[in-house]
Amino acid sequence: MTAAGAVPGAPPVLSIRGLSVQLGLLDGRWVHAVSDLDMDLPAGTVTLLAGESGCGKSVLASALIGLLPPTARVRGQVGLDGPDPLDLLAADDDVLATRVRGRRVGLVPQSAGTALTPTRTVGALLSEAVTTLGGAVPAADLLREVWLDPDGVADLYPHQLSGGMAHRVLLALALAGQPDVLLCDEPTAGLDPENAAHVAGLLAAQARTGRAVLLISHDIAACAPVADRVAVMVSSRVVEVGPATDVLDRPWHDYPQALWNSLPERGFRPVPGDPPPLTDLPDDCAWHRRAGGACSGVLTLEPVAPDHWVSCGRGPVGVGC
Amino acid sequence: MTSELTAVPRAIDRSRWRAPVTWRPARVPGGRRRWVLPLCVGVLVVLVLFAVVVPWVAGIDPRQTALADANQAPSWDHWFGTDQAGRDLVVRVAEGLRVSLLVAAVCAVVATVLGCVVGLTAAVVGGRTDRVLMRTVDGLNAVPHLLLGIVIAAMWKGAILAVIASIALTHWTQVARIVRAQALTVRTRDYVLATVSLGGSRRQVLVRHLLPAVAPQALLSVALLLPHAVWHESALSFLGVGLPPDRPSLGTLLEDARTRILVGQWWTLVFPSLALIATTAAVAGLSAAARDRLLPHRRTEVGVGGAA
Amino acid sequence: MDAGVIRRGAAASSGLEPSATGRRGRWAAAARMALRRVLFVVPVTVLVSMAVFALAAASPYDPLAGYLGDRYLTVGADQAAVLREQLGLDRPWIVWWWDWVVAAVQGDLGTSHLYGQPVTAVIGQRLPWTLLLAGTALVLAVLVSLLVGVRSAARPGGLLDRTVVPLAYVLQGIPAFVLGLGAILLFALTWSVLPAAGATDPTAAVGVGQVAEHLVLPAGVLALSQLPWLLLHVRQSMLDALSADHVRTARARGLPDAVVIRRHALPGALLPFLSVIGVRLPELVVGATIVEVVFSWPGIAAATVSSARAMDFALLAALTTATTLLVLLGNLLADVAYTVADPRVSADDQ
Repeated sequence: MTAAGAVPGAPPVLSIRGLSVQLGLLDGRWVHAVSDLDMDLPAGTVTLLAGESGCGKSVLASALIGLLPPTARVRGQVGLDGPDPLDLLAADDDVLATRVRGRRVGLVPQSAGTALTPTRTVGALLSEAVTTLGGAVPAADLLREVWLDPDGVADLYPHQLSGGMAHRVLLALALAGQPDVLLCDEPTAGLDPENAAHVAGLLAAQARTGRAVLLISHDIAACAPVADRVAVMVSSRVVEVGPATDVLDRPWHDYPQALWNSLPERGFRPVPGDPPPLTDLPDDCAWHRRAGGACSGVLTLEPVAPDHWVSCGRGPVGVGC
Repeated sequence: MTSELTAVPRAIDRSRWRAPVTWRPARVPGGRRRWVLPLCVGVLVVLVLFAVVVPWVAGIDPRQTALADANQAPSWDHWFGTDQAGRDLVVRVAEGLRVSLLVAAVCAVVATVLGCVVGLTAAVVGGRTDRVLMRTVDGLNAVPHLLLGIVIAAMWKGAILAVIASIALTHWTQVARIVRAQALTVRTRDYVLATVSLGGSRRQVLVRHLLPAVAPQALLSVALLLPHAVWHESALSFLGVGLPPDRPSLGTLLEDARTRILVGQWWTLVFPSLALIATTAAVAGLSAAARDRLLPHRRTEVGVGGAA
Repeated sequence: MDAGVIRRGAAASSGLEPSATGRRGRWAAAARMALRRVLFVVPVTVLVSMAVFALAAASPYDPLAGYLGDRYLTVGADQAAVLREQLGLDRPWIVWWWDWVVAAVQGDLGTSHLYGQPVTAVIGQRLPWTLLLAGTALVLAVLVSLLVGVRSAARPGGLLDRTVVPLAYVLQGIPAFVLGLGAILLFALTWSVLPAAGATDPTAAVGVGQVAEHLVLPAGVLALSQLPWLLLHVRQSMLDALSADHVRTARARGLPDAVVIRRHALPGALLPFLSVIGVRLPELVVGATIVEVVFSWPGIAAATVSSARAMDFALLAALTTATTLLVLLGNLLADVAYTVADPRVSADDQ
């Protein structure tokens, strides 16, 4: 019996099962950032996690490397495969700090403008990362790997970098410890289409070296061309996950369909309704409440093909709703 | 097919939440301590009652001397002991507290009014007036306030008005800056712009919109300035340029104590000090709580002593 | 090893050498800033000195008293009128002030009747003592606040944090003169371990041991009076720095806590601290004034108070102006240091 969201064939490096993350507010309410998420990140593939802003995508990346705020609560399990398998949610901070972060799971953070320490040069940051993580690849080679000229950028301070350069420096920093998994949170944010495609290409190149890459983005135009698998998230839930071609071109769930239709190059029709606040999500399907339409009420992912999973038990969109 | 993770339990507990792995431990929850406000109010009420009732009940002229009772340590007859002239320190401290509180209250009100006038003028007139006034504020803030206080108080030696003026004239700058900022944000709000576009005069805008908008801030300023003023007055008196020695403020009592402790009369230091610390701490706590109520988004640390 | 390669490579090969231009830019920015600030320092100092004279003219104070000193009380009314005429004391205060400025520029600040010597001599003798006291206290307060504040912020809600923060608030509420008198009562009188007054024992010669022993209490009290605000400030800016984006990213990169705090959070939190120290200089002067009086320290702050009490106008005017100038210059110095130390400032200014 395969678990929900699993991929047949290649063993996943990271397998997320039943992951829920909630963030506590001062008034006692909880923000439902991630609900019952099942997903596998296989080695050598780029998985694109798409969804509108504020649906909980970024919290997922923080949860996976144990950098949630202290007011959060989590449940579920995140298995990290390798010679020393472990559950990332259960491991204590010491283990995460000394053995996982940077070394086995790398993070390319959101908002490149503020993510680099402003008082240090690029060269100092990179060599510090390489030295402390015991990375095998010299700092200068890391910069070349992300198509930056070491002579040109090593002595620059972060405020002297352009947006595209900052994104690439952050990628080089995430690669310093040669991690098996690369989590990229909006790696193309704030970049023009050319630069965005450039960064996406770099990430695809990382996947080809055998890494599992999770690409969290709403910049579908830039990221879809390099994605092998696509997961779609709405109101804290993943509603469909499968091969990129299937999910992008023939989605089963009507939310991905609506999301693709909202892209400028696919018709520019806005997604119907407004997303409900994450503090009070309904127990049943938030999407169908918002957009109307019938819902089977089954919120767990169910297989429609060996590697293609959909919730709400629906047929292919346009075939039978 | 899932991977075979030996270290990971198979069954997923979907019912139980747990805290995430975090680097720093959670902050002390609550922050807002409910007992602070009642405690501060209670202490302040006791202190004010003490300052008002004791001299009134005692009915003795605090300047009258009884040399037979001089320099006595605390006892049942004299709870706080007596000074070198045989005066009971309970009465002296109560008198001193009353004078200090009165002077401080007048200073706080005068400084706040001055600050409001300057702040509103800067905001309403704007332009060069605004720049000149704000540069004045900067300049005055860069000068040690006690120094100016000393100069003023020294030239009108022993005059209570000079002490008040010297404190009020150095404490309005903060108020002016806050009031100006507040007035500037209100001035550009829609309803004010509407009044102006409908032909409302500058005076109308000022009276109808700006004054009500800065009133809570002004009220808060009085409360915040009070401990500063108490501190400032006692510092001036302690340095010998404040109130005359025959008028027992907390500062003059402490100046007395300076020589008395050398002959072992610790009580002349301890009791006036306690009254002074209790007053500044209670008022500071009170105004911090008031600020939390009035400006809940700006919960910052409040300073008491030393901050001139 | 790799860092060295990169840095050397860049310095040797590229014609850009951004770090060198950056540093030069920073000094240039600092110089421009210093110039702008001098344009502020001069008028403020002038205005303060004018204010002293204007206040003196408006007050019941008789300038003849400043000239005659103790003899003022024995001089008859007609004699006083003659003297007033001769000395030109009836002229408006602005003329009086201008004469003072002209003389001051030539190095003559008048004579102090309180100390019976030229004002410049009084300042020359006393200024080093004040600098010693205030400098020691400032260094002490800054070091302790950095050490404790950073540790306290590294574990908010921890044992140290829960002890230090309330303590700082309590300490903040205790006036410096109460602290000083309390210290004398305990250390000098009750336990007799430290001297209570002066910079040396009355009969002893000035020596390092003597001065060090006498410095402990005043410097300690002055440091303690400055400590709470600095400590709470360091703690708060460190807390802010620790929740900053780049610090989180440094942790996500797998750097150990010590490295994250020391190299990524601390510099950003402490750079503004340089200029904060400058802003606090007026407070330091206020504290020094009180501490010098309490401990009979032979510095200029105590002399200011004495001159005010005895209405020694020449000394009071000079000391007020000099103290203002010193504070403003210290302020300027702190800001220049900040501008030079922070790599970001050059870019903002270019």
